[in-house]
Amino acid sequence: MNTNSNVYTIVYTTIIVVIAAAILAIAAMALKPKQDANIKAETISQMLTAAGFSSKEDLAKLGNDQILKMYSDNIKTAFLIDAKGNKIGELETETGNIELQDNLKQENKNIAAGDPQLPVYVFEKDGDEINVIPIYGAGLWGPIWGYIAFNADCSRIVGAYFDHESETPGLGAKIKDEAWFREQFKGERVNFSKPNDPFDIVKGGAPKGDKNDSEVDAITGATMTCNGLDAALDTWFEAYMPFLEKKAGVTGADKGDCCGGDSCCGEGAEGCEKDCNHEHNHNHQEG
Amino acid sequence: MNEDLKKTLLNPIFKGNPITVLVLGICSSLAVTVQLKGALVMALSVIIVTGLSSLVVSLLRNSIPNRVRIIVQLVVVAMMVILVDQVLKAYAYSIDKQLSVYIGLIITNCIVMGRIEAFALGNKPIPSLLDGLANGAGYGIILIIVAFFRELLGSGTLLGFRVLPESYVPNNLVILPPMALILLGCIVWVQRSIQKDLQEK
Repeated sequence: MNTNSNVYTIVYTTIIVVIAAAILAIAAMALKPKQDANIKAETISQMLTAAGFSSKEDLAKLGNDQILKMYSDNIKTAFLIDAKGNKIGELETETGNIELQDNLKQENKNIAAGDPQLPVYVFEKDGDEINVIPIYGAGLWGPIWGYIAFNADCSRIVGAYFDHESETPGLGAKIKDEAWFREQFKGERVNFSKPNDPFDIVKGGAPKGDKNDSEVDAITGATMTCNGLDAALDTWFEAYMPFLEKKAGVTGADKGDCCGGDSCCGEGAEGCEKDCNHEHNHNHQEG
Repeated sequence: MNEDLKKTLLNPIFKGNPITVLVLGICSSLAVTVQLKGALVMALSVIIVTGLSSLVVSLLRNSIPNRVRIIVQLVVVAMMVILVDQVLKAYAYSIDKQLSVYIGLIITNCIVMGRIEAFALGNKPIPSLLDGLANGAGYGIILIIVAFFRELLGSGTLLGFRVLPESYVPNNLVILPPMALILLGCIVWVQRSIQKDLQEK
């Protein structure tokens, strides 16, 4: 047969491509459940690391089932909040059908559009609540994301874990690899008085041991990744701000009086809350 | 085993090593050799891809239209690489994360296409399979040697276990790609001083 004729060439390549596509489709379908389980366990182990239940290295040695069980054993509740910090839905936390809001890329878009459904995972450790929230943003080469754990009243960060898709190994990848970078976040607070820029990763050294300045040290040689992480933290902390403020009991009183302390801006004070929001906006304009 | 097969199998490991003698596949050998574990998985992945691609192309060699042979080879290689990546994602997720883009980039590794063009298109399936596997192994050996030194001197560990005492200050230069190139140069130097016929006049 003449293998150089046009018809033969076209028919031959078509058949080869169809066969290759079929093989890949079958493989992808067969392996999908296993891959999804891996991704879910990975997400949960990042949360558990941030919340301080275990270290990422130890969790990597556990099977997926053990990680899921550890999650169910320690979680108290998980729910979704809207842009105003109000609860709008629950997430299942029982082993076997754990639900996660892990499409952070989509939520990042929703935050920009002003209509997010943000997850809050509430763990219980030694009798205290730990609130874990995700962050997501753009690094130098690809997406970066992470989980930040707050104490019961969200006044202090108790842990953090970051991950990335394709940051430079040895430079940007240090946000994940270097424990000292994550350790810095412990004890830091979110700056409620600057809702647009509540947290900073600074070049040239944040004052060591100062846990009230909402600043941590950047990584040498990873400026772009750190800038991306800084922006991601700011965007997501801002989106969570109403929720964090409610938890922390931060009211107008702390930011220039609005309507007289804790009692009014708490839950159930609908009318007054509007006043608070109004005052907040007013403050922004001044700031 | 007859002489030809033996030669096919052993030549790429040392005498005709794809990295140090043919100078193929340099890019990924600089990138994935920071840690030994990643290098081992990468070596294994490349061995599987080179072996199976050579086998498949060799089976098809008499039917492939000459004008589109590179494209057909590329389809076969790409399919193998994606399969390896999918399997790693399902069964070795943490390592797949560590190797990230480099598994996908095996497609562009010159060793795979190079061996298919040079060997598999003109030889029977079994020798082609062995040639592919051996070239992958030759690549893997260099990768493991480089990764051994880089992890030892760059992190003070081997396969994640601490080998050098805590007082050892990790050498950050070793972590960066230029040092991989220098190490590779040293390996080429050592090989050429042993194997005098490789030395240019």
